[in-house]
Amino acid sequence: MDTIYTSKYFVASQCDNSRRFYIDFGHKTVKFSFCQLLALRHKLKSIDIEQHVNGENIHGLEVLSLCNREHLFVFNTLEILDLQELIHGTFAMMEINSVLA
Amino acid sequence: MKDLVRQNLLIHVDILDLLNKQIKQEAESSAAYLAMASWCDHNGLVYSAEFFYEQSAEEREHMMKIFHFINDNGGTAYSPEVANINHDFASLEEIFETALDQEIAITKSIHNIVYECRNKRDLTTENFLQWFITEQMEEEQTMRRALELFDLINTENVGLRFLDEKIKEIRDEANPA
Ligand SMILES: [Fe+2]
Repeated sequence: MDTIYTSKYFVASQCDNSRRFYIDFGHKTVKFSFCQLLALRHKLKSIDIEQHVNGENIHGLEVLSLCNREHLFVFNTLEILDLQELIHGTFAMMEINSVLA
Repeated sequence: MKDLVRQNLLIHVDILDLLNKQIKQEAESSAAYLAMASWCDHNGLVYSAEFFYEQSAEEREHMMKIFHFINDNGGTAYSPEVANINHDFASLEEIFETALDQEIAITKSIHNIVYECRNKRDLTTENFLQWFITEQMEEEQTMRRALELFDLINTENVGLRFLDEKIKEIRDEANPA
């Protein structure tokens, strides 16, 4: 298993043998196929973080269902920002890996 | 470390985002043409109505072409949300001018994705988009020719009916049977 990227709260890695990705959320590690990872990336990109500061999202929480609703997570503002950074960093690292490979 | 992204996805992931945006733009374009067709129908302009019904169907075909390209190559295409469709027009001329502006916006958007494909060295998507570049050239030509009719024909009274019939000819020329 290779670590791809580490953010403040989370770690993304990949397993070459199973061709799967793993995200360590601290209390739980979740396995992702590539398209499930793409789906997470899309969900995070679609979040309007401004709503966390302008009062529209009063609790500052986001509920994310991952891997076709196999997992359900509730993240606060800081965790969402960190998760966005994790996915951004993960895809950036994989792009560098792709150039080197 | 294996290149799992490349194993799964032929399209560059940033280009994937742009293609999904393009899907939405084609869907919006299709919906806008449908609203224009409805206006023409209500105003007794049957040939113009037919023109925009077909135009609307064509935009949906464009959308589906991109949709399948994404899904066939390991990406995920997202079914677009379309909202706030304008149904209010002052005249047929305004409709055709809006249609031309819409086509120009789509041309620019396609060109922009092609430039990004070159930046990201995504030659497959660039090649795929060549068809759209030609298609957009033809779409713009059609709309421009329609708009030119308004310079030639006085649209007061019976003139507007005459112009409406000419729209059919433009359509037939654009899509030879
Ligand atoms: Fe189109």
